[in-house]
Amino acid sequence: MRRLRSFLPLWFMLPASVIVTLFFVIPVFMTFAFSFTTMSSDTGVLGNRYIVSEATLLKLKELNIDPVLVASLGEIRFVFDDTNLKNISQLNLKPSLLKEINTKLKNKVFATEKKLYAALKTLKNRPRSFKDRKAISKATVSSMMNKEFLTADEFSQGLVSVGINLDAPAFNQLLELTNTSWHWTTDNYAELMASDFTLKILGNTLFYVFCTLFFNVGFALLLALATFYMPSGQSKIFRALWLIPRISPSVIYVLLWKWFTFDSGFMSHFLSSFGFTPQDWLKEFPWVFVILANGFVGASMGMLIFSSAIVAIPGDVLRAAEVDGAYPLQQIRRIILPLLAWPILFVTSYQTLSLLTSFEYILLLTDGGPGFFTTETWALNAYHTALSNYFGNLRYGFGATLAVVLVVVGIILSLLYLRLFDFKKLVTEPQIET
Amino acid sequence: MEIKLEKFSKSFGSVKVIEELDLTVGNGEMIALLGPSGCGKTTTLYAICGIHRVSAGRILFGDRDVTALPPQEKNVGVVFQSFALYPHLSIYENIAFPLRIRKEKNADIERKVREISATLYMEHLLERRPGQLSGGQQQRVALARALVRRPDILLMDEPLANLDASLRLEMRTEIRRIQQESGCTSILVTHDQVEAMSMCDRIALMNNGVIQQIGTPDDMYHQPRNKFIAGFIGNPPISFIDGAVENGQFTSQGMSFGLPDNLKKASLTSGQKVSVGIRPEHLQPGSENPVAGEVTFIESQGREILYDLKLGDGQMLRSIQSGARTCKLGDRVTWSINVNAVLFFDAQDERILPA
Repeated sequence: MRRLRSFLPLWFMLPASVIVTLFFVIPVFMTFAFSFTTMSSDTGVLGNRYIVSEATLLKLKELNIDPVLVASLGEIRFVFDDTNLKNISQLNLKPSLLKEINTKLKNKVFATEKKLYAALKTLKNRPRSFKDRKAISKATVSSMMNKEFLTADEFSQGLVSVGINLDAPAFNQLLELTNTSWHWTTDNYAELMASDFTLKILGNTLFYVFCTLFFNVGFALLLALATFYMPSGQSKIFRALWLIPRISPSVIYVLLWKWFTFDSGFMSHFLSSFGFTPQDWLKEFPWVFVILANGFVGASMGMLIFSSAIVAIPGDVLRAAEVDGAYPLQQIRRIILPLLAWPILFVTSYQTLSLLTSFEYILLLTDGGPGFFTTETWALNAYHTALSNYFGNLRYGFGATLAVVLVVVGIILSLLYLRLFDFKKLVTEPQIET
Repeated sequence: MEIKLEKFSKSFGSVKVIEELDLTVGNGEMIALLGPSGCGKTTTLYAICGIHRVSAGRILFGDRDVTALPPQEKNVGVVFQSFALYPHLSIYENIAFPLRIRKEKNADIERKVREISATLYMEHLLERRPGQLSGGQQQRVALARALVRRPDILLMDEPLANLDASLRLEMRTEIRRIQQESGCTSILVTHDQVEAMSMCDRIALMNNGVIQQIGTPDDMYHQPRNKFIAGFIGNPPISFIDGAVENGQFTSQGMSFGLPDNLKKASLTSGQKVSVGIRPEHLQPGSENPVAGEVTFIESQGREILYDLKLGDGQMLRSIQSGARTCKLGDRVTWSINVNAVLFFDAQDERILPA
């Protein structure tokens, strides 16, 4: 075959290259980079942030910092600084009152609302209505808590504005403690090695992948072989039926499984006539249904590939096996299965990789439950850690670490498969063509 | 073992391929199913070995009715046109396959495989894979695999079609030798008359699912039962001239000659339309029963030269002559017909036999 010699095809590939780069290549490198950071929803992804949070206060107390300072950081104040005065001027107040506030209360800080009201009472044009007093209180209330400061200067201004004045060492210490930005670290990997959950999730993942794979490939082979020996009309219908899982939306598909298994669902109903107590079967045997739901969907692809591979075996070879005395089971064991080695390798490795990384059916079916990490697999755990954490912060860095491990395991597995099935020998063409 | 087909019919859906075919192959005999492609010869073969189900009629091996038996239960060796070797198995395992299926002992298998591969001169190939063999070698393996289990019947479907010309000659004698040594009743399916004539005891010539004639190659050649057989057998082929019988003479616009004596007594009425078949070797230079025409084609085949002769009315005769070229293209010549060898056919294409 003649290959093109110009760079023109590269231009045709440009849109595809852009998509691949944007959605696959860059994310892989970013994941690798993120796995060496402490990024989380606490730190944000961007640079420096100074935030005083409840966690900061706890940390300050632990470090035996001046309790008065800690308390004042956590408290709210009523501050008549420039910005707040501007806010007040927006209120619908008497001009005389506004003028008096601007002159008499400017740059004053009140620790409590009570003190603020007392101060307001001393004014000549004091506000008569409670509504007005409340509005002023609301316009002047300030706190350091949960405010984002981008620079140290802003942070110090913020402290001053709520009436906290610190000397340089104390300020620097506070600055360091409130700096929430991420930093580079290898702690994620250390944590992964040390965590008790790692082994549990690893076990879950191996169990899930091997069981589903076995079911998946085995069932696909069974379907392909069965349809091969069926009358052609029937096998066509059967194969078409097995494509439906491919085209049915996963959410609907999982919903059907849930309906099938819940305590007044089809299964409970059916089994109750044999004396079984109705129960939520999905909660009783979560793995069974996780594996079945995944396995049935995956089987259709294997079935298609195996079917076409079986049909590609020359008819004469199978006829020869027949006249040589081989019955269908012997034909399958001695002729068809050995000739399917390559498609089986392909489907197995493809499914291993996709099972390792895909988690949508588990997510929809059990979300890693029932209970704690019962059906939590590695990929699902990475997703939970980084993007959908029920318990607290989204830990982008640690989630990325989990993902990197998954990528490495995937690559190692692919290489292992190629070794196992003697890839080179499979693709080498015979020396003499017939 | 004798093979007997009684009123065997086969149809695929509504298409009837073979209707009520009768055929008997004697013990140890090798018969050829010869015919153009699509005539049903491979279908018949597949029905005999059980790959195709029989639609009607019976198939007997000796006294045993095997009509409904699946191929696994018949002891039939088949050589397929594509050889159909198992690509993933070594040559040794390919040949051993039928024995392994029968769960024979390893020692027996080893002995039998060695034996048959010695007979076929292919002991040095046993470790290889089918993909590493040439066509002729694959053919030997296919033959060995068919014969190793000592089949009752050996069936061959166009076994030489995938080989080049010189190998075909070699394998022709080879297959015949093996068949005679093993004494295995055999059926050879082929569209090549030379193959059929050179390898087989008898030929069954098929057309449109019907056996036209069964006989020895000589029979077929000299005494064809109808026009199809006369036209199919013989290379270069026979030429036919349409004409009529008048006053003891065959007459067409381009030629005429007196009927041979033994045919004059046959029931030929004057004015009856007939067609005569004249084989190329029966038109030679000479003066008896002359026929005149123009030489329109000359092909040298080395030892012999083939001429096409165009008669006055446009009909063509073929002549094959040994020796040096006697004329050139466009010459008008007068050659002689060997009238006693001319074959006569009636309007229904049936042979008019001498009385």
